[in-house]
Amino acid sequence: MISGYIIGLIVVFAGVALTFSAFLKERDDVHKLILADLTEIAGLAIIALTATDLAEALIIPGLVVGISELLAVSEIYLTREKLFFQPEKLFTIEVMDSAPGIMGAVLVIFGIILSGFTGGAVAATGMIFYFLCKGHKERFSLVETVSAYAWVLWIAAFFTFMLAPSYWFFGVMMAGGAILAKVVAKMSLIGAMRGESNA
Amino acid sequence: MASAGVAGEPFFALPFGDIVNYFTPYTAVLFGFALLFTLICILSRPEQQLDVVFGTDAYYAKGVTGKELRFRRFMSIACGCATMAAMVSGDVFNFTLFVSMVGVCIIGIVAAVKSRHVLDAAYNYGIIAIVATIPLFGGAAITLATTGTLSIWELSAMASGMPLIAKMLIIVGVMGEGIAPFYAAKAELFRAPGAPYVIMIHVSSLLMFLRVVEILLTV
Repeated sequence: MISGYIIGLIVVFAGVALTFSAFLKERDDVHKLILADLTEIAGLAIIALTATDLAEALIIPGLVVGISELLAVSEIYLTREKLFFQPEKLFTIEVMDSAPGIMGAVLVIFGIILSGFTGGAVAATGMIFYFLCKGHKERFSLVETVSAYAWVLWIAAFFTFMLAPSYWFFGVMMAGGAILAKVVAKMSLIGAMRGESNA
Repeated sequence: MASAGVAGEPFFALPFGDIVNYFTPYTAVLFGFALLFTLICILSRPEQQLDVVFGTDAYYAKGVTGKELRFRRFMSIACGCATMAAMVSGDVFNFTLFVSMVGVCIIGIVAAVKSRHVLDAAYNYGIIAIVATIPLFGGAAITLATTGTLSIWELSAMASGMPLIAKMLIIVGVMGEGIAPFYAAKAELFRAPGAPYVIMIHVSSLLMFLRVVEILLTV
């Protein structure tokens, strides 16, 4: 009898084959980039199929490397096509005038309650939505600094686990809070930094 | 390690649980190369390319200066660090991660170059590097699922070792990150000016190739 793992692998590799066939037909560079990102997700799915705690721990670095590759290649695309300036006509719909305050607040508060990596992603979505709707004139170097200090706290929490395991609860709280701040700060910069002088 | 394998007897090992980072004569030499080239990137000044205008005495000087110089030096040092880590990593997944990170840094080294030709090559290389992460991570994940460990040290002691399909996936992944036949995309990147930084692209590929051979023969 074929195990679930093998069936999962077959399904994922079928998905990969499908994406590759799309690659053969696609000529537009941006679409190629999006397809490459899709295949990246298939790679993460193969790791996820292992279905152990270790696999979960491997997905985040895999995801981070994948995203950084995607960002690097998009940066190459922007430089090549000389897309340095803010587009003149921005996307607007009515909900973007009325909702950003309340939506942003709800998502940020819910994110803080969730805490950790997931909470960070939820809260950051709220912040991205707010920046997208309301524009941004914030001091991004300050946000970057907060992110860096949060990272340091996160590492300190790991040292607490290793050097003083009896203080594990303190370590968990510190890591949960710090990763929340870090993910929020980093993600809220997405699409907001366009090479300004304060960026 | 149970058998010395192709790499010789390990003379230093740094265990983190079952993940053992080790220096054998082979990996130590590779690490030394990566360190040497990183130091060259830190210390040396970039080359200046000169283009002679055909049929005249005039020439263009294409220097690397200011912000671009700092950014490219930073990316090549990061590339050197990722290569060094890949050389000594005792964990299959960490190795694949560092190999992908070398790919990111290589894109970074040429990202600030203004030449459209180089940017085209970098874009195509980047797409291949992203796609190559599937076989890389896939190989590591299948190894974990079938053997229960990612440690090269433990895998080399096992009778069954890494499954053949995982080995094949990893070699395909490393190929995509910059060894032949996909090296063609990368070779075009060398047209960018700024020699020690651009040479890092080549050195990292060579070292990755040598290391993946060692890993696949050991496990």
